[in-house]
Amino acid sequence: MSASILKVENLVLYYSTLRGVVKAVDHVSFEIKRGETLAIVGESGSGKSSTAIAIVRILPRNVGAYKGSVIFNGTDIMKLGEEEFRKKVRVGGISMVFQGAMNSLNPVMRVEDQIAEPLVINMGYSRQEAVSEALNALKLVGLDAAVGRRYPHELSGGMKQRVLIAMSLATKPKLIILDEPTSALDVITQANIMNLLKKLRNEMGFTYMFITHDLGLASELADSVAVMYAGKIVEIGPAESVYLQPNHPYTKLLMDSVPTLREDRPPSFIPGAPPDLINLPNGCSFHPRCPYVIRGKCDVDDPPMIKADHGSYAACWLLEKERK
Amino acid sequence: MTTREEILTLEDVKVYFPVRKLFSVTSYVRAVDGVSSTIRRGETLALVGESGSGKTTLGKAIIGLVKPTGGKILFDGVNISELKEDELKKIRRRMGVVFQDPYSSLNPGFTIYKAVEEPLVVNKIGTSEERREKVLKALSDVKLNPPEVFASKYPHMLSGGQRQRAAIARAIISNPDFIVADEPVTMLDASIRVEILLLLREIQQKYGLTILYITHDMATAKYFSDRIAVMYAGKFVEVGPTKKVLSSPKHPYTQALIDAIPDPDPRNRMAFRKIVTGEPPSLINPPQGCRFHPRCPYFIKGKCDVIEPPLYRFEEGREVACFLYETGSV
Repeated sequence: MSASILKVENLVLYYSTLRGVVKAVDHVSFEIKRGETLAIVGESGSGKSSTAIAIVRILPRNVGAYKGSVIFNGTDIMKLGEEEFRKKVRVGGISMVFQGAMNSLNPVMRVEDQIAEPLVINMGYSRQEAVSEALNALKLVGLDAAVGRRYPHELSGGMKQRVLIAMSLATKPKLIILDEPTSALDVITQANIMNLLKKLRNEMGFTYMFITHDLGLASELADSVAVMYAGKIVEIGPAESVYLQPNHPYTKLLMDSVPTLREDRPPSFIPGAPPDLINLPNGCSFHPRCPYVIRGKCDVDDPPMIKADHGSYAACWLLEKERK
Repeated sequence: MTTREEILTLEDVKVYFPVRKLFSVTSYVRAVDGVSSTIRRGETLALVGESGSGKTTLGKAIIGLVKPTGGKILFDGVNISELKEDELKKIRRRMGVVFQDPYSSLNPGFTIYKAVEEPLVVNKIGTSEERREKVLKALSDVKLNPPEVFASKYPHMLSGGQRQRAAIARAIISNPDFIVADEPVTMLDASIRVEILLLLREIQQKYGLTILYITHDMATAKYFSDRIAVMYAGKFVEVGPTKKVLSSPKHPYTQALIDAIPDPDPRNRMAFRKIVTGEPPSLINPPQGCRFHPRCPYFIKGKCDVIEPPLYRFEEGREVACFLYETGSV
């Protein structure tokens, strides 16, 4: 059960722009075990989505650097050619549910055909088999088979999101990457989708990589949590320790900035703004906003990941001080 | 009636949008369908609802950007829905508005100075020296310091949070009494949302402003509003003091909305949330009776699907549109 399904090491994805090189993903490493959910949380521009597209190799044209190793199911998929990659990763390997359900369905194709299409093209199913698989997938996500005959404009936002999840399940993937799967939905619909994802995980043993900016939402699924800031993971560990005993000052301040409904704790904020990814500060990227900054250290040397308590790791020099 | 204490009174406000087929109007989208309430001077009222509940349309009707189809909107005793364009313009100076998207609400070709000064120019207020003084003061009010430096910048040179500050400066430049803030922090990052909301509150206290805070986010409403009005399918379903509504919500919809919101807690992943199913109804053809009845777990057959529940008063300052509270009505 606890074998790793995805192991990412020193993943780098830079974009080259007219203004300079954007370090979107900057030496990111993490591991996801079979049947577990890793949530990647961070604010906009922190590199969460870029990490995902780097793993599934859906890259924009302006890639400046793209390296590192991504070991999926025992194979380093960064070394695979396009055709091998398609066979091993795209078909039945890793599927991805993108942000903005509304726009990613083909408006002139019936739902069942959209779900069936990759099965026919990539997995060699007959059309009939593929459609019956598609209807199964719809049933799994709680939709009526009749929905299969409809067109996307006849569906509500929540139903479209369910269709996208059905689509990602149909190829029987080993890992599902969910990139802000509910951010365009209303809270009640969102809660329904989260319940569905939990149910699928419990019943079918799915492994998720769940990308979100919403810490509350991440806690709905996450067994472990990775917090990203300015293209790097600054803290990673089991959900309990990241939420309850955060080690990195950014994690702690981010938690404090989220207003909660049930607790009576006035939220605070982090002064300043996230840095420009083209022109990162020296040393730790968070040091200009950090209340615990150690002059002459944090603004000079970039901290490595340092082991903390309860299975967490954080990139902060404060931990080194505690160790000594 | 609007008294001194109330700056705004809504009486059965309706905003319908016609649905046209060829040249004839076939039906109406009832975005706001009979809303009555008051906003007290100096308070923050949070208008909470999901997308399509009519909250933004109501906000626009209040500042005179859309004309209500029926009912009255009294701003300081004046029915703004009956005003002519030039009279409306005068009264609108006393209102400010902050929109959701700071990336599109500021003209990219205007400097921050020009964007913030614009309401004064349009309304022909002051000489250019007086206006300059006002603009710089507004910029320092929203803590874009030093104001001279920010004044000469263009929107693309600012971060999202700074742009929203500039938008707030523009909203307060004509010394309004009342501000509509429509999802002002939704597009911003979590770490700076609270900063902007605290700034709004600071400005509110400094100038005695009344704020209508339109949001879908109950958690921010909890900390930044005095009272809350929950909207569903064009109607108010529950109104009351924020703390009371959130700690003991009465309307089944309010309860469902609150139950659906996850707090950051690693224990969440173990449990399923109890959620109402279904989706909000079509506003062209809303269900008869209570609009929430097809999704309501406490639905009373023969009643909720026939008669529309009025807003029952059941406690000091609390109102709820649900037959479950009929007996407790005053």
